[in-house]
Amino acid sequence: MNETRLQWILKALAALVLPAFCLLPFGWMLLVCFSRQPDFLLPQVDFAPTLQNLVDVLTDPSLHLMAYLRNSLLVSAVSAAAATFFAGLSAYSVTRLRFPGRILIPLGVLAFSMFPQISIVGYLFKLMASLDWINHHAALILPYTTLGLPLALWIMISHFAQIPVDLDKAALVDGASRLQILFRIIFPLAAPGALSTVLLVFIYSFNEFLFALMLTTDYTARTIPVGIAMFEGLHGQLPWGHVMAIAVVAILPVLLIAAVFQRRIIQGLVQGAVKG
Amino acid sequence: MAAPDQPPEKNEEARSAWLFNLPLVLLTAAFILIPVGGTLVTSLFRDVTYLPDAFVGLQNYLRLAADLHFWQSMRFTLLFVAVSVTLELIFGLVFALLLNEAMPGRGLLRVIVLVPWIIPIAVSARIWELIYNYEFGLFNFLLQHLDLTQQPVNWLGSSAGAFAAIVISDVWKTTPFMTIILLAGFSTIPQDLYRQAMVDGTHFLQRFIHVTLPLIRPVIVVALLFRTIDAVRIFDLIYVLTGGGPGGATTSLSLYSFQYYVSGDFGYGSCISLIVFLIAGLLAVSYIRLGKFSEVLR
Repeated sequence: MNETRLQWILKALAALVLPAFCLLPFGWMLLVCFSRQPDFLLPQVDFAPTLQNLVDVLTDPSLHLMAYLRNSLLVSAVSAAAATFFAGLSAYSVTRLRFPGRILIPLGVLAFSMFPQISIVGYLFKLMASLDWINHHAALILPYTTLGLPLALWIMISHFAQIPVDLDKAALVDGASRLQILFRIIFPLAAPGALSTVLLVFIYSFNEFLFALMLTTDYTARTIPVGIAMFEGLHGQLPWGHVMAIAVVAILPVLLIAAVFQRRIIQGLVQGAVKG
Repeated sequence: MAAPDQPPEKNEEARSAWLFNLPLVLLTAAFILIPVGGTLVTSLFRDVTYLPDAFVGLQNYLRLAADLHFWQSMRFTLLFVAVSVTLELIFGLVFALLLNEAMPGRGLLRVIVLVPWIIPIAVSARIWELIYNYEFGLFNFLLQHLDLTQQPVNWLGSSAGAFAAIVISDVWKTTPFMTIILLAGFSTIPQDLYRQAMVDGTHFLQRFIHVTLPLIRPVIVVALLFRTIDAVRIFDLIYVLTGGGPGGATTSLSLYSFQYYVSGDFGYGSCISLIVFLIAGLLAVSYIRLGKFSEVLR
C-alpha cells in the first residue's frame, strides 16, 4: 500500500517536473519571440504580444536567414542520404560476406567516431583551403557524411542482420548480382532502419557547429547554427526578440521531424548506442 | 592472391566485400585518418601564417607544459566533464525510471524528452544566454522573486556563475540521450525478476539497487562512455554561451585549440587538439575495461 502511494507520487512528479525541465528554455524562446519587449520581466515593461519579430527576421534580406536555412537543409539532407547509402553497402558486406576485416570495419569506425572533431578540423581547414573549397557546400557535406558513417553503419548492421541470409542465397541461385540483391531485397526490407539512419544523420548534421564555423565564411554556405551564433544585431544592443525568432525558425525543421518520427529516432539512437 | 586450398567463391566474396566497403574506407581515410595524421605532423612544426614552416620537434609540447592558460583550460575541462556527466547520469536514471512506469501520457512525455536533444546546441545556447541575462533573465527573476538570493546572480560574468551556467545547459541538453539509452536498458530486464523480488518483500529502492542496477551496468557504461567522450571535446555550447570567459575561466581545451587555429598558429593549435585526443582515448580505454564487455559477449 505504501508502495503504490510512492509510485503514485513519483508518477505525478514525472508528469510535472519532467516536461518543465525539458521545455523551459523552449517555452522561454517562444515567449520572447512573441513579445515586443524581450525585457518584459522588468517592472513597468509590458509583454505586448506581437508577430513583428518573426516577420522582421523572415523578411529582412540582410539577415540571410533563408540562405542559412537552405544551406542547413541541403547539407544535412545530402549527408544523411549519402551516409545511409554508403553505410548500407558496408553493412551488407559485414552481414553477408566472409572477408578478413569483417569485424575490423565496424569496430574501426566506432573507434574513429570517438576522435575529437577539434583534432580533425585544423588540418581539414588547410585541406579545404588548398582545394579552394572553403565556403562551398561540399566542404561540409563530405565531412558530415563521414562523421555520420559510424552511427549509420551500426544501425544498418542491426537491421540487415535480422534479414534471413536464405533470401540472398535463393536470389543468387536465380542469377541476381550482389548489388541487385542489396537494392531489390535487403534495402526495401530494411526500409525502417534506413529511415532511422537518415533521420539521425540529418539531425546530427543539422546540429553540427565546429566544422561549419571553420569551413564557411558567409551565407553562401554557412549553416543556421553558425548563423545564429554570429548574429549580433546592427545597433550594439542585441535584439533578443529577433534572436529568439531566428531560433524558432532554426528549430522548426528538426522539431517537425522529431514530432513525426519520434519512434524511429528513439529506436535508431538505441540501436546506434546500446547494440554498438 | 588466391590460396590454392580456398574455394573460389570465398575469393569472390572477399573481393566484392572490399568493393562494398570502398566508399566507407575512402571517406574515413580522407576526412578522419589523414586529417588526424596531418594534425600530428603539424604539431611538430612551427606552422604560423606569414612565417615559413619549420620543423621544431617537440618544442610545441614543451611550450604546452609551461603554458598556464593550457593548464587552466585542462582543469576546467576535466572538472566540467566530472560534474556534468555525473549529474547527467543521475538525472538520466531518474527520468528513465519515471518513464519506465506505466502511466497515461507516457508517449507524449517520451517526445517531450527528445526536445532538448533535438535542438541544435548553438540555438539552445542562445536561449540560455537570454535566460542567464543579468538584468532581465528568467533565472535571476525567479531567484529574486522566490527570495532565494538578495542580489541577482552574475551568471555569465563570474567564473563560478559561468561554470554553473555551462553545466546546467549541458545537463539539460544531454540528459535526454542518457534517458533514452537507459530506458532501453530497463526494457531488457525480464519482468519475472521484479515479480520474484516483490514476492520476497523488497521495496522499490532495494529492487533498484539489487536488481536493476547490476543488470543494466553494461548499458550504463556504454552511455557514460559516449557522454564522457562527448563532454571532453565540448565546444559549441561554450563558444556561444561564454566565449570561454570571463577571463578564460571557461575555455575548454577544444576552444583553446580553436583560438590558436583562428589566430593562424596551426602548430600549437594542433598540439592542444591532440591532448584532447589523448584524454578521450584514455577515458575510452578505461571505460571499455570497466565495462568488461568481453564477459558480456561470452
